Amino acid sequence: MTAAGLTDVGFGPRVDTFAGAEGEEKARLFGTYGYPIRARKP
Amino acid sequence: MNGPIDVDKLRHEIQAKYEEVVGQPDAEFHFKIGRPALERTGYEPEWYEGLPEDAIGRFAGVANPFHWGLPHPGERVVDVGSGAGVDCLIAARAVGFDGAVVGVDMTPAMLEEARGAAAKADSVNVEFREGLAEKLPVEDGWADVVISNGVINLVPDKLDAYREISRVLKAGGRVQVADICVENAVPDSALGDVDLWTG
Repeated sequence: MTAAGLTDVGFGPRVDTFAGAEGEEKARLFGTYGYPIRARKP
Repeated sequence: MNGPIDVDKLRHEIQAKYEEVVGQPDAEFHFKIGRPALERTGYEPEWYEGLPEDAIGRFAGVANPFHWGLPHPGERVVDVGSGAGVDCLIAARAVGFDGAVVGVDMTPAMLEEARGAAAKADSVNVEFREGLAEKLPVEDGWADVVISNGVINLVPDKLDAYREISRVLKAGGRVQVADICVENAVPDSALGDVDLWTG
């Protein structure tokens, strides 16, 4: 994001997006979670 | 082929996956969809109360782009990968009649679904356009806020996508996306596996 010129990048709370879904096993393999992400254009 | 992934094949597979979501919202997918996904990702129920059930049932977000707050009245919002339109309809309510929302998606079936949902919701300040995250059909500096949910991870060139997001934002504009991140290194062999990208 910063390489695209965006600043003030921040992450919100992690969500266990794939828990209980078919993709859970693959998600666990790579430590895959959902996040809110914010940034700003200067 | 461009880099480790066949981009055309990837886009085709993504479109096929999300056409399944449109046509069979009660099927099992590698991610939760619908109301359970809205609840898990932290959406406030009042944000989506009264929105068309067809759209809610096809919501496929991975986290909450409104974690830091809804768009403000009068603002212009672009949703990258707008899917069935739930986030656009939430944003349209928030910005009101003095604001505007543009949803961009590459899957025609999702665009049709979202347009139908907007009509059912009487949302006259939202429109849906066909396009790619790497080439948004939006003029320079138009948006106050760019949102997206579970989409940038599917874009082969994420820097291109974020450059486009920056292009359509006004100076001082905000990015509020939700997406998946991996905490473990992904081996090169997996980067070219379309099945891992889409499911």
